[in-house]
Amino acid sequence: MTHLFFDIRKLQKLDEKRSPMFEKNRFAKVMVYIGIAFWAAYLVLFGVLLPSAFSEGFPGMEPYHILNKGLLIVLTLDFLVRFLFPTPIQEVKPFLLLPVPKRKVMAALLLREAINPFNFFWLFFFVPFALLSVTRFYGLAGIVGYALGVWLLTVMNSYWSMLIRVLKRQRFIYICWCLPVYGLLALLEFLPDTHWVSTFTMNWGEGFILWNPFAFLGALTGIGLMGFINYKVQLRLIYNELSRVEDTKIKKISDYAFLDRYGNVGEYMRLELKMLFRNKSPRSQFWSLIVITVLFALALTFGLYEESGMNGFICLYCYCAFGLATLSQIMAIEGNYIDGLMVRRESVYNMLRAKYYVQCGMLAIPFIFCLVPVCNGEITLSMDLAYLFFTAGIIFPGMMQMAVYNDKTAPLNTGLMGKRQNNNVYQTVIVVASLTVPLLVNSGLELLLGTTGSYITMSALGLAGFLTHRLWINNIYTRFMARRYRNMEGFRNTR
Amino acid sequence: MEITITNLKKIYGTRTVLDIDAYTVRTGEILGLVGNNGAGKTTLFRLILDLLKADEGNVHIGDIEVSQSEAWKDTTGAYMDESFLIDYLTPEEYFYFVGKMCGLDKATVDERLIPYERFMNGEILGQKKLIRNLSAGNKQKTGILAALLNRPQLLILDEPFNFLDPSSQSALRHLLQAYNQETGATILVSSHNLTHTIEISTRIALLEHGRIIRDIAPINEEAQHELESYFEIRAEE
Repeated sequence: MTHLFFDIRKLQKLDEKRSPMFEKNRFAKVMVYIGIAFWAAYLVLFGVLLPSAFSEGFPGMEPYHILNKGLLIVLTLDFLVRFLFPTPIQEVKPFLLLPVPKRKVMAALLLREAINPFNFFWLFFFVPFALLSVTRFYGLAGIVGYALGVWLLTVMNSYWSMLIRVLKRQRFIYICWCLPVYGLLALLEFLPDTHWVSTFTMNWGEGFILWNPFAFLGALTGIGLMGFINYKVQLRLIYNELSRVEDTKIKKISDYAFLDRYGNVGEYMRLELKMLFRNKSPRSQFWSLIVITVLFALALTFGLYEESGMNGFICLYCYCAFGLATLSQIMAIEGNYIDGLMVRRESVYNMLRAKYYVQCGMLAIPFIFCLVPVCNGEITLSMDLAYLFFTAGIIFPGMMQMAVYNDKTAPLNTGLMGKRQNNNVYQTVIVVASLTVPLLVNSGLELLLGTTGSYITMSALGLAGFLTHRLWINNIYTRFMARRYRNMEGFRNTR
Repeated sequence: MEITITNLKKIYGTRTVLDIDAYTVRTGEILGLVGNNGAGKTTLFRLILDLLKADEGNVHIGDIEVSQSEAWKDTTGAYMDESFLIDYLTPEEYFYFVGKMCGLDKATVDERLIPYERFMNGEILGQKKLIRNLSAGNKQKTGILAALLNRPQLLILDEPFNFLDPSSQSALRHLLQAYNQETGATILVSSHNLTHTIEISTRIALLEHGRIIRDIAPINEEAQHELESYFEIRAEE
């Protein structure tokens, strides 16, 4: 069992290390580390700031009591974040033909989940928090006990989340299994004058600090119970997972017949829409971006940001979000079938045009959302239109330059965490430039021409970019063709 | 459609994977390309289709050098592997898509698929299945049929008999021969299946370590023996 556990770990590390996506992309590795460091720093910052905020907000209570009252919120967030991770049942397949019992493989995979580094990630928040609030009463022992307890709760939560993820993979509706649990907890908490759940977690958290054996025993029992349920359920579902075929029969075949009149470009637009809605990765990305855009539009509507600069940024972000996510990865999806495209004349040129038109069409979504804050008087229509046109005519052409440089295939149906980091230095530059240059241009123009003049100029620049799109798309196509062998090799190597 | 290969070389690192001084495939020929794994068959096809950059030399389809112009794409059909398929489309959608690229409307595409009904065996059209959910054999059929849609003057198929059941292999054999006779198209087929290759080809090129070591025509019993002795598959009498 121990050997198996270490062998699986070794294989997993080799898989990560030897992935062509990673091997050829040092920048991606650096970006991953920077990303982790960023979130860790973010958590540390919250851990440092919250004790004093809690002291001020709740003078009659200790900060760690308040935090422990909200432990369930943290665990619920953790539960949601874990939906990005794969489950052991998805990884068990390569081991099934080996002369090792299935139950041992499953147990090893579940054990590996317990020591998943992500389970320690929340400690970046809890340890600094405890240092500032627990130390003075209970010293170092209190912090260690608290950290250990929080880690045990995270492990328990990881098994709980895993169970729901496994069930969700069988049928999406099974995600509702989590509703009775959270519903019951909410009921216990919000029944008038009860607060049983928050009181319970407050005492549980304090139990960890005080090294109360019952607190640890409770967490360990929870881990054991959730681990056992996972073990039983996942063993039972292995064959369902092996024979799993997604969308075997599609219920409705969308035709987008209105695109027939646009010839080859229309055909590629149809392809673009089908790509978006028939594949897991682009589809989930699309819906997440819709949610983000709605949230930002709501922030604008309710005047969450008082600064006009921040309003400008949020408005710009609403328009750029789709483009940033899709155009910065342009051609990466097509890497899956690039050979088929390249044996047809000028197909990439038509495809680039189609992508541009679809992206411009998609701008209608943030435009509609942003009309609400316009009607609410929080932002002006001229600003809204300026960022709309500027995005279509200046930012999108910038992002579409990535068609020349992207040479790694993006999988169509892998979850976010299974994708591997696909960023390169050009993408990062383009994304950063897309989110900063328009604001700088706006500020510069404002100084010269005033607010209205600035927005009119930005709109004019954007329109000019849109009207000349055939020229610059042709330029991108010519440069793509000049680099085609290199790119095609990259796409093949990363499929 | 004639293919002319001149001084064609492909090198990976220090390894020369393809090295052909001069070779011409004449219009209307069915050229079978055989050789063991790593002989360079797929590399040669990729170079002909301009999917790889040659380190030296060039390939002409008709008068056009493939790396210099895209005009040859109008008269060429090819299927090599799944990277030619857009797997989130249904086969019908894929055929219409390819048809559109070749300037064919849906009715023409439907009409052009009719002769291949036997080959499709009722498993491709009308299934409401995305290509990614088809069996390997049906994916192969979809790719081959898409390559035939624009009635190409040059048809290139890399190991087309792979994944196909015996009946479909036989149907494909007849289909390719009939297509060649009807249209006079040049067909290039690579295969590990000597029986099929010998049956359909009018000429066979044997590749070894990137070089054409034998150019066999006409294909008769003697040629068959020659190939069998090369691959050592004759019964160990």
